[in-house]
Amino acid sequence: MIQTAKDMKTYRKKIKAALKNKFLRKALDNFASSYKASRAKAFEGMDLSALKGEIAQGKDQALTVLEDLYLRFKTGAEASGAVVHLAKTAEEANEIIARIARDNKVTSIVKSKSMTAEETHLNDHLEARGFQVTETDLGEWIIQLRHEGPSHMVMPAIHLSRGQVGTLFSDVTKTPVDLEDIDRMVKVARKELRPAFLSADMGISGANMAIAETGTLGIISNEGNARLTTTLPRVHVALVGLDKLVPDLAAALRILRVLPRNATGQALTSYVTWITGAVECGASATGKKILHIVFLDNSRLELARDPVFSEALRCIRCGACSNVCPVYGKVGGHTLGHVYIGAIGLILTYFYHGKDNARAIVKNCLNCQACKSVCPVNIDLPFLIKQVYRRILADEGSKPVKNTILSAVMKNRRLFHTLLRTASALQGPLVKKEAGVLRHLPFVFGKAHDFRTLPALAEKPFRDQWPEIRPRIQNPRFRVALFGGCVVDFVSPEQALALARLLAPHRVQMEYPPGQSCCGLPAMMMAEEETAAEVAVQNLEALEPWRYDYILVLCASCGSHMKEGYSRLLAGKPELAEKLRSLQDKLMDFSSFMVKVLKVRPEDFIQNQRRVAYHSPCHLCRGLGVTQEPRELLRTAGLDYAPCKDEDICCGFGGSYSLEFPEISAEILGQKLDHVEATGADVLVTDCPGCVLQLRGGMNKRKGRVQVRHIAEIVAENLKAP
Amino acid sequence: MEQTELMDRMKEKAGLVQALVSTVTGMEEVLGRTVGITLGQGGKTIVAPGLDPENLQRLEDLCRAAGLTVLYPPFRPHLSAIHTALTPADWAIAETGTLVLDSDSEDLRIATMLSETHVAWIPVSRIVPDTAALSARLIEKMKSGPGYLAFITGPSRTADIERVLAIGVHGPQELHILMMEEP
Repeated sequence: MIQTAKDMKTYRKKIKAALKNKFLRKALDNFASSYKASRAKAFEGMDLSALKGEIAQGKDQALTVLEDLYLRFKTGAEASGAVVHLAKTAEEANEIIARIARDNKVTSIVKSKSMTAEETHLNDHLEARGFQVTETDLGEWIIQLRHEGPSHMVMPAIHLSRGQVGTLFSDVTKTPVDLEDIDRMVKVARKELRPAFLSADMGISGANMAIAETGTLGIISNEGNARLTTTLPRVHVALVGLDKLVPDLAAALRILRVLPRNATGQALTSYVTWITGAVECGASATGKKILHIVFLDNSRLELARDPVFSEALRCIRCGACSNVCPVYGKVGGHTLGHVYIGAIGLILTYFYHGKDNARAIVKNCLNCQACKSVCPVNIDLPFLIKQVYRRILADEGSKPVKNTILSAVMKNRRLFHTLLRTASALQGPLVKKEAGVLRHLPFVFGKAHDFRTLPALAEKPFRDQWPEIRPRIQNPRFRVALFGGCVVDFVSPEQALALARLLAPHRVQMEYPPGQSCCGLPAMMMAEEETAAEVAVQNLEALEPWRYDYILVLCASCGSHMKEGYSRLLAGKPELAEKLRSLQDKLMDFSSFMVKVLKVRPEDFIQNQRRVAYHSPCHLCRGLGVTQEPRELLRTAGLDYAPCKDEDICCGFGGSYSLEFPEISAEILGQKLDHVEATGADVLVTDCPGCVLQLRGGMNKRKGRVQVRHIAEIVAENLKAP
Repeated sequence: MEQTELMDRMKEKAGLVQALVSTVTGMEEVLGRTVGITLGQGGKTIVAPGLDPENLQRLEDLCRAAGLTVLYPPFRPHLSAIHTALTPADWAIAETGTLVLDSDSEDLRIATMLSETHVAWIPVSRIVPDTAALSARLIEKMKSGPGYLAFITGPSRTADIERVLAIGVHGPQELHILMMEEP
């Protein structure tokens, strides 16, 4: 029975328990590494982004005519002898299937893997009505025997060790099973399940694709159980989500090109089965298969019409969003989902299984964008997760106090900045001066937050320093504005000072428009969209993009939010469109500006070949799509760049995420720092002040010897004196 | 793509997913290989749906000489007794090393699903570069009433326990692909 935490207190407990499971972490860790390699190999030589775009577009098109596609499918399939049903709810689908079983005097049922049947809890329903149901997919059989839900959409038993499976099989077969020999265990399943296939009266399958043009089901499988399930018993029932409808074979084949590759790195699964109508069946009295196809709505039609959430229905259930999720990698699917797992699960749970099951899990997203970049149908998963959170807050009609405070403060830049200045003045006794960190955490933090030191606020924010030190460049080559962001401005002004030092010799006139405020991303992360939109407008007004050639950011998160998030937030304000486009066209990250615009040369820098490791911030490599420039800049600036394992995996910061889920944040950070230390580098460099805060805090706490610096600082340090 | 190139690619891609691919020159060799494979595995029975009467008789003769039994349709009474299934494939897709079998016939399905070893022969002229090259025929087939079409890429497999690849869960444990060059 699936038990999903319905409140944060229970959820935190569950997370702590999951984090203690060393096997799980190791298994998921190995999987994440090997998945990355096999996926890359599977897509070698293919234009993946074009294919993704085509599928997404095709899916979106299909979603506008789902009911039409359903009718066409029904006509085609029924002309070939199938009976097609449409179930409004999960309960209705289960009842239709139970009725088919009763009408056909069925006693035993074999099932091949179907997430849709998991969604409706079909087994429970049938078993409660006296039918004997056997799951035949190996992973599903294992979890059925353990009375668990799947922990991954493609590999349902990935959370279990061979020892656990072996013990389970020994118990079930009443014969000892070698706890190491996986091949043997697979043969046990082959032998044990064969009689179930041979004696079943009914087979239940799902389907990966339902082709409207011909009334054909497409079923993808590796084990061959779906073929047996759909062949041997006299009755076949397919339970299919309405979202699986595609107009024609071409659309189905497009999905087939990416689904196995993106799911498991296979060019194709062992079996793809295309079933059109009722075929020959010797077990049936008529000599024809009794075929029923039950389409499940369960709010899909409503979702398809939703302007924000419809894209969630593009999902083809490859499970990749779990494979690359750093949080999934630490806590596993039973802690990061309800029935549907991972990023897409955080979204679909709300719609298919209600807000109670979604309430806690939906918060567990770092917004690292890894899922979004691996999604084969371009679903903006992190964005939709926040949107679900927003819906839940709206449904519940009461917001956390921190949301109310954050919104009130952030909408008023002067108030916000006054508070920061006041805090800076008052923090004195808390600060370890020489280290620039807080001696101990303020009382609001619990022990779980003690995995990193927190930096002190700067004595003087950058905005107050700038008017005194602003250089005036004669005949500047470029005029640029720096968008600092809160951390650079109030915590790490040295990063902006480093930038200023680097720009001056290139005759770049830098400005710091004083009206700029927080970029608004923290508000988005807390689902305070109105606040985020208000500060977006404030920033747009303050930055006056027309005055500058470039708008530079030292914080990848601010940059990617302004580049992508602002478009959505300001979509309803056509009067700002021109300004916004100008801002977005001119916005550039630090490294790209140095490499592509200023074209800095090695002779500008002291070539001291200090060994540096690099952390690629989520919002730089995935958000802004910048990957080569920072690495190139490090080499140009005379540093010995030492590649590190998993450079592009999140550091675990995620802004307020690390406050909400400190245990997971600490775990992700710990692994990142281990990888960094393994490179033997003296310095860890990154280009996001949030990452610096997290990485440096963690390195301090473990008393590591690796310094953590913003890339602007380390590059400026190597600048030759003029 | 040239035919030899298609054959090479088919062999490479099917090989990557543990299919055993070889080239044969005619039905005689297909039959001989099938008997040899079965004997080598200690199998006792062969089913051969889709074999024409003349070749079926030759298979019967070969099996009798080798002490094997040919089982005849319908196969439902033999569900647990099939060692080797010898079947034709209708098409092969080189890009993924896939066999395409029109499987409307229940006997063909039982043979390819419940045998321990599946031996499929495919005339080399029926190897196509990719699925797109087949799509018109697939649509035609799907539009022509009830049908069961199978893409088979390697033997049955799973990685459900610790993601360790294991071959032969519910389907054949071995898949032999015999690419048949026409004289």
